[in-house]
Amino acid sequence: MKKVEKVKRAKHKKRAAWIFSLPALFFVIVFGWYPLVLGFRVSLEEYHFILPPTYIGLANFREIFSDPLVPITFRNTFYYTALSIGLTFIIPIIISILLMEMKKNTIRIMMLLWFIPMASMAGNIIWKWFYNSYYGLFNTILVYLGFPTLRWLDDPRIAMLCLVLPGLIMFGPGLMYIASLQSVPNEFYEAAELEGARLGQKIWHITLPRLRPIISMLLLLAIIGNMQIFERPYVMTGGGPGMATTTVVMYFYQLSFQSLIFGKGASLAIILFCVILALIIIQRKYFKENIDV
Amino acid sequence: MPLISQVGRNHFKVRFLLGAITTLLWIGVSLHLFPVWWTFSTSITPYKEIYKIPPALFPRGATLACYKLIFTMFSGSVTITQPFWVYIKNSGIMTGAIMAIQIPVTALAAYALSKLHDPKWSRLLFLVLVGIALVPYQVSMIPLYFLLRDFPFATGYVPKIPFTPIPFPHYNFINTYWAVILPGGYAAFNLLLFKGFFDGIPDELINAARIDGASEIGIFRRIIIPLSKPVFAVVAYMTFSSSWNQFLWPLIVLKKEKLMPIAVGLYRFQEEVNELANVIVPSDEGLLKRMAQGYSWNGVMAMSLIQSIPVFIMFIIFREQLMKGIKLRGFK
Repeated sequence: MKKVEKVKRAKHKKRAAWIFSLPALFFVIVFGWYPLVLGFRVSLEEYHFILPPTYIGLANFREIFSDPLVPITFRNTFYYTALSIGLTFIIPIIISILLMEMKKNTIRIMMLLWFIPMASMAGNIIWKWFYNSYYGLFNTILVYLGFPTLRWLDDPRIAMLCLVLPGLIMFGPGLMYIASLQSVPNEFYEAAELEGARLGQKIWHITLPRLRPIISMLLLLAIIGNMQIFERPYVMTGGGPGMATTTVVMYFYQLSFQSLIFGKGASLAIILFCVILALIIIQRKYFKENIDV
Repeated sequence: MPLISQVGRNHFKVRFLLGAITTLLWIGVSLHLFPVWWTFSTSITPYKEIYKIPPALFPRGATLACYKLIFTMFSGSVTITQPFWVYIKNSGIMTGAIMAIQIPVTALAAYALSKLHDPKWSRLLFLVLVGIALVPYQVSMIPLYFLLRDFPFATGYVPKIPFTPIPFPHYNFINTYWAVILPGGYAAFNLLLFKGFFDGIPDELINAARIDGASEIGIFRRIIIPLSKPVFAVVAYMTFSSSWNQFLWPLIVLKKEKLMPIAVGLYRFQEEVNELANVIVPSDEGLLKRMAQGYSWNGVMAMSLIQSIPVFIMFIIFREQLMKGIKLRGFK
């Protein structure tokens, strides 16, 4: 009797397992893998209006490699990623560690104010207005202080830097650090205290190792996200001045959804994929943690 | 307050350090708040003041006229022909639907992977479900567009039924909400979050419920969900903000103005106002009339703030869950 019951339960479990995972499998296969595999096929084809596409081998890739705009867009994208990670990645970590020293209610308020959540389009537009050469906030401040005004987004030398700076203020990931820091047991610090550890040592030996997995994951996400940057330059500069802030995804969008050269667009996307994959592999070499939260 | 121990807090040096940290954090906060204040003050500035140099820190003759844009339509604009509540409604529908589909779908799959499947199947399905996140979205974007245009064919053309000139039956999702909702039905990153949390819940708890005769879905509903509130809060917030902020995909698949989400609407509004600012002719009667309706940067700022409000509210709810989450995390 008991055995029968057990078998029945195992059967139930197995059935439930499949029923529970089926909807996700449906979505991931139909709207994930199916278009993904075809994406590789599109890159080998030339598209015509109405007629079925024709197979043209690697001609699209050859075209991409001989396109003078592609190296420029890749350089811009690398530049953006490097600037953005270099300038805006570390600050939320420091802030989160410092925030944890405050009283609980202070954390509540400061979390809201430091990691102030703003819709991304709104943030981009607001900063575009701040950068306005005539009426913007920054030039107003410069005038008040008696400095010569700058052209900000219209100056090809600093346009990219201007695009990155909003990231200093609008950082969501800070929350993830706070959530992770809250799980550090207080006893660890007390033990370190008894051993006579100094403040810096405590941060280095207790806090940072605890944060390492989440830093690793957020760094990975930052690399992937920044390499695919589209919205901010598209809204704030439109890729200009000249080609100074045109990123790979912007060029991809222009090729595939404005000029409708699908084959070339898809091959550019695949090259971007290879570059990002290479960066991921490099990142995994230095951070060997499991991706887990 | 982990770094600085409770015991020594009255010591002068420690107090000084704490004071320094507090000051630093409050300075940072004010640096954050200033842009928000500036945005708000621009949004309530009357249109005549907006193009004055230098702009005033506190606007004279403040007015809420620009916020009327939510309900009123522009006269004479080419790209913005709907009042803003239409865009807000569109964003709300799409975000709501994505959350209603994505969160249960992802949570159930993560639970099945974590607790129900054999290890062999679990590993294989994990690869299928998470591997997709490795490849940038752009690679599948073109076929996905085709797929939604001639569902279920994703090759860019609809094959004909053999021996007839009639194409196979297909369905066009482009220019419907579904074109945005369907690709958002599942998210690999959220699966990782869910699975990481579910893995920490002890199996004994589930087995005990099973022996008591609970059904599998009952276990998930009555035991797993109440235990996993923090992770649900995190995922809900992420799903909300990512779908509320979606821009590129709606820009591609929604060409009808009545269906556009607020991110796209705001972008188009801002583009048009930006053009205007470059060719400003204050004597033009029609232009001045439109500016009085909010057709200038103060209107853009007002609508930007409106777009941010839902994100802000969700953030506050989410923060409360996050702060409560501390106790539950002891589990792991």
